[in-house]
Amino acid sequence: MAHRLLIYEADAGKSSEPGESPTIRVYEKLRKSLGEFVGATGFHSLAYRALTLAKSEAPILRSARIAADGSLQGLGEMDTQFDTDTDPAGNGEIILIARLLGLLRLFLGEALTLSLLRNAWPGEVFDDRNSVHGRKA
Amino acid sequence: MSTQDKVKINKLPTGVPGLDEIVGGGLPEFSFNIIAGAPGSGKTTLAHQFVFANATPERPALYFTVLGESAIKMLRYQQQYTFFDPSKLHGSIRFVNLSQVVLEKDLGAVLEEITREVEKANPAVVVVDSFRTMVRKPESDMDLQSFIQRLALFLASWQATTFLIGEYAEEELRDNPIFTVADGLLWLRQTTERNSIVRKLQIIKLRGQDSVPGLHTFRITDAGVQAFSRTFGLTARKRNPPGGRRLCFGIPELDKMLDGGVPEGDSILVAGSSGTGKSVLATQFIADGISKGDPAIIAVFEERPEAYALRATNLGLDLETPQKDGKLTILYLRPLDLSVDETMQSILDAVQKIGAKRLVIDSLAGFEMALSPGFRADFRESLYRMIFALTGIGVTILSTVEVDESFTDFPFSTYSISFLCDDIIRMRYVSIDGQLRKIMVVIKMRGGNHAKDIREYEITSKGVVILGKRLTNFQGLISGVPVHSDRSSLKEEPAPEPGIGSKS
Repeated sequence: MAHRLLIYEADAGKSSEPGESPTIRVYEKLRKSLGEFVGATGFHSLAYRALTLAKSEAPILRSARIAADGSLQGLGEMDTQFDTDTDPAGNGEIILIARLLGLLRLFLGEALTLSLLRNAWPGEVFDDRNSVHGRKA
Repeated sequence: MSTQDKVKINKLPTGVPGLDEIVGGGLPEFSFNIIAGAPGSGKTTLAHQFVFANATPERPALYFTVLGESAIKMLRYQQQYTFFDPSKLHGSIRFVNLSQVVLEKDLGAVLEEITREVEKANPAVVVVDSFRTMVRKPESDMDLQSFIQRLALFLASWQATTFLIGEYAEEELRDNPIFTVADGLLWLRQTTERNSIVRKLQIIKLRGQDSVPGLHTFRITDAGVQAFSRTFGLTARKRNPPGGRRLCFGIPELDKMLDGGVPEGDSILVAGSSGTGKSVLATQFIADGISKGDPAIIAVFEERPEAYALRATNLGLDLETPQKDGKLTILYLRPLDLSVDETMQSILDAVQKIGAKRLVIDSLAGFEMALSPGFRADFRESLYRMIFALTGIGVTILSTVEVDESFTDFPFSTYSISFLCDDIIRMRYVSIDGQLRKIMVVIKMRGGNHAKDIREYEITSKGVVILGKRLTNFQGLISGVPVHSDRSSLKEEPAPEPGIGSKS
């Protein structure tokens, strides 16, 4: 699912704001959607946990951090390295988004997480094939 | 002002089974309500039920969360309830977190934020959970009063039905301005009674319509909050006065003593000590009714339904077939922390489901034991309400009660409830000629004449069988230790003529 969202935003970014990182676009959409109902502090806690988990799997994320307002900072040059053809397991950005979605699924379950994603990406179709805990996550 | 000129206040379903009955058919549309109570009393769950019952994509619900339970955990837990419909989230129900603005800004900013969201969403329902945490430290009493007033006015103007959820203590009722502004005030309480938790709710205030006064028990189950009206949900139900039938036991001699049977819609008490055959008599009453087309309910507390039915089989009474045919329900009610209202709701549901005409409660002692200790103190009053409610819809109730035998008294029950019963049949042991034998007497029949005879009976493979004629050769039978008297020459009193007996 994380991979799918990043691809979607990579494609969307090409036409709208070409220089913006797909990871940041996905992350910001999640921050906006989640922040509305869990609050900035609530989102910060989730994102911080997700980043901590992701860092243990992807050292490339070591410079990344979650700011007090919940925004993702410190990706630096890594942002531009996103390549939809690379192995997802080796991609720090995918791992970060995947861990964030994983936490949502852990706390809210599959149905509510998909519901949140539908809210953040109204144009996308989310179903069982792109489950948040599917292989691609 | 004529009825036509009056504004019609729509009533919104609460989504809480039993609560609509308590609040007079639903909560008034556009009302400004408080749900108050201690932590864990079910406030948030109740609010969720209302939200899920009323939110639509066209008129959604806005659920503002503030400090306290985090929204993510609230959703994690609330989705466990069966009323929770995830497809309603975002489209029909939106959760908005106000923690930051509450923490960092003043009440004016909070109101501004709520206003902004409400104008954007045009919601039919607005919930603020918890309102208490939002206004815990108001700048001044005037700020708080002004804030509440403006919030209430704004939300009513935007045609929203509002719920403010808060953990309030009852001492605050007099001083807190929020209670003055509110149109509706629902108070949820939970207390510990020995080892049981007793939950009760009260509608302290509800502008614009009547509500059922008093404390109503409620329970939180997988389906959320379920309320049990003190009036057993029958206030709005049409009374169904019984017909003029006499209901028999299928025991010819006893039916004759009862002048052809008990009047339909009566409450009958069968009292006796252990082993005198109260349950057998009750079973015969039910079996006779079923044979005549009267669906029935047996509420048992001391014996499992299977065992109850098996015992009936041994008496030649088939309770299995009518259960399969939907003519009989045997309810087993023994969780030990019930309220009378919950028990009653179970019985009422069963009565309505099969259209029962006869009900046996076997026994009142078991019923009392099944109740939470906190409810036992009110057992007598509860019985009164229960009997009134059920007989009012035409159900004939037979309750069994065990009494301690005494050789000086002749008690009818240990609950001083005989005044609640129209008819009383007393069974007891007597010591005669070196044997422990059984006698039966009809003590009272409010609706007509009855025999005054004391009759000996036995419990056989056919159930209760009344033996011979009335016992004329003994004095002091009801003491249990009668003495012989040579009165065999007396003629037996003829069976009473209908309508000539005095009402007691």
